[in-house]
Amino acid sequence: MNVIWAIIRKDFQMEFRTKESITAMWIFSLLIFVIFNFTFEISRLLLLQISGGLLWVAFIFSGMLGLNRSFQVERENGNLRGLSLTPADPGLIYFGKFLSTTFFMLIFEALIFPLFIIFYDIQLSLVTLWIIPISILGTLGFTSLGTILSAVAIHTKQQQILLSLLLWPLITPIIIWAVKTTGDVLAGELSAAFQPVMVRMLVFDVIFTTISYLLFEYVVQE
Amino acid sequence: MTKPYKSQSFYVLAGLLLVLIPVTLYMIFQWVPPIKASNPTEATAQRIFYYHVASAWIGFFAFFIVFLASVIYLWKKERRWENMAVASAEIGTLFMTIVLITGPIWAKPTWGIWWTWDARLTSSLVLWLIYVAYLFLRRYLPDGTRRANLSAVVGIIGFIDVPLVWFSIRWWETQHPNAVVAGGDGSLAPEMLKTLLFCVGIFTILYLLFMQRRLEIARLEDSINRHYKEWETLS
Amino acid sequence: MNQPVIIAENLRKEFGRVVALRGVSFQVEEGAFFTIFGRNGAGKSTLLSIISGMASATDGRIRVFGEDPGERTHRHRLSVISHESFLYDNLTALENLAFYGKLYQVENLNERMHAVLDQVGLHHRRFDLVHTFSRGMVQRLTIARAILHNPDLFLLDEPFTGLDQHATEMLIGLMDDLKSQGKTILLTTHDLQIGLRLSTSFMLLERQRVVETGTSDGLTAELLREKYFSLVKTSEAGQ
Repeated sequence: MNVIWAIIRKDFQMEFRTKESITAMWIFSLLIFVIFNFTFEISRLLLLQISGGLLWVAFIFSGMLGLNRSFQVERENGNLRGLSLTPADPGLIYFGKFLSTTFFMLIFEALIFPLFIIFYDIQLSLVTLWIIPISILGTLGFTSLGTILSAVAIHTKQQQILLSLLLWPLITPIIIWAVKTTGDVLAGELSAAFQPVMVRMLVFDVIFTTISYLLFEYVVQE
Repeated sequence: MTKPYKSQSFYVLAGLLLVLIPVTLYMIFQWVPPIKASNPTEATAQRIFYYHVASAWIGFFAFFIVFLASVIYLWKKERRWENMAVASAEIGTLFMTIVLITGPIWAKPTWGIWWTWDARLTSSLVLWLIYVAYLFLRRYLPDGTRRANLSAVVGIIGFIDVPLVWFSIRWWETQHPNAVVAGGDGSLAPEMLKTLLFCVGIFTILYLLFMQRRLEIARLEDSINRHYKEWETLS
Repeated sequence: MNQPVIIAENLRKEFGRVVALRGVSFQVEEGAFFTIFGRNGAGKSTLLSIISGMASATDGRIRVFGEDPGERTHRHRLSVISHESFLYDNLTALENLAFYGKLYQVENLNERMHAVLDQVGLHHRRFDLVHTFSRGMVQRLTIARAILHNPDLFLLDEPFTGLDQHATEMLIGLMDDLKSQGKTILLTTHDLQIGLRLSTSFMLLERQRVVETGTSDGLTAELLREKYFSLVKTSEAGQ
């Protein structure tokens, strides 16, 4: 427990000193919204249908920046090796990195969402609050795999390219589910599929955090 | 060191295939009655179905072997399990490529389009991407235990993801009413089913042959390198 | 009277085409300064990885403090110093130490941090970010990090790589200190001058095998020097 907390604390100390990660993710999402506006000229009705997808494209693309940044600092001075040489359980090191990247992403998502509402004139209601659990479940799915695969990719020179290649196909399910549920919420009406899909997202998160926790030891071995 | 380059199992498997592959062709093109179709091209194109499905089956089977060999590797830490996982990943990717090529060839005359985001095609594409990434990872790393560990981790995560990808895309398709193209494989004629099963059997033998060859090559590479190192030490 | 801290018997590390160790045996007594000489690719770093429990041997037996290093029970008695600092540039000196102190579960961490910062002469810079430090100061903080949890065994993995004269002297000074405190030190280097000056005993690795061992009295040191340079020459002639 101490290990997890120490890593999260360390990452937050660095982040709030430089604010590199969260700011970069936020600006990048803003850029996605702007570019999207120019590349697709669509009617308001159609926009409502695809806005869930747009939001998750912004989340995931920006999330890649966050992941890369989070592991860049563990690579600079051989830090991941330094961590692995301590008595700390590698599984707990995984959890520390996993939770800190998740928190960063959630903070960034909370900061960009109001802007999204303004830009795309989303009608707010009580249903909109469901975006919070959806973001959490979707982000956990993304970061659970993203964290272990970043630690895999860090050992190569092509870290960033490789991370994208490995991560994108694997997170297809969570993207599909997150986009669908978000679409429901933004339309202001939950479909019958909403709850079972939320459960599926939870199952996905549990499966891959557990597997990654168990396998992380082999990722840091030499 | 006296191990022959081509072992006996190679000749048995190769001989078997030499006889049986023409048999599959006979069954597909002669024995199976043509399907009821609006035009003859469609009926002919449908015959690709047998190799298409058999390839998909081998793809899945190969990826399962990658998973299995990866788990055993992490447990035993022996080179041969790594070799087996890689060999199977390469062959699986090859067969998945065949699926992705034969799919559109079938789709064009049948549905009038080369590609449709049909659940099976899309899932196959995503699976293909997962294992291409696996092979990329191996390209980026030098030989050694680290590469073996990392690829085993990806091999395990990748396969656990396979059913999730499959079901999520299936479900996604049902949410999109514009993707109306159903497979049309509601019921198979008995000849069709028999031919399909026969093809699957033959492709399994083909897989075994490829595996046997690929593992032999890996073994040879390792032993050549080992001898070279030995020679270097002596000189 | 001295107990061996490290016992290695016929260690082998082979994987496919990679042969990293071909049967290496040695012992390191408690309080010894043991240097492993060897050129790049001789097998030095693999050996250190096995001792630190980061890698496992294919064959042979290894014991550190009487236990299998793969179990990682020896980690809190062990410290690794390599040419990489393991420090975070965007944390202060104190934050870096606090972080590693927690991972090593150091008792009385606060007092201990101030003590080691004093020891390496960085106390006045404790609130400064590491990226504002000079190369020499980073080196000193690396040392502070390494001695923070008061380990009994130090593994120094080519620590002189990329150091200037001043930083090298300082590192040597630290090693002398540790030696006089009775710590066990294992150093890998290709630098004969420094290695021989410090060590009580040594081993020369070449092509993944031990080719020479001895204690650092004048005679064997001379022998090692000859042997090492002849190895370097033959390899250069071969190229």
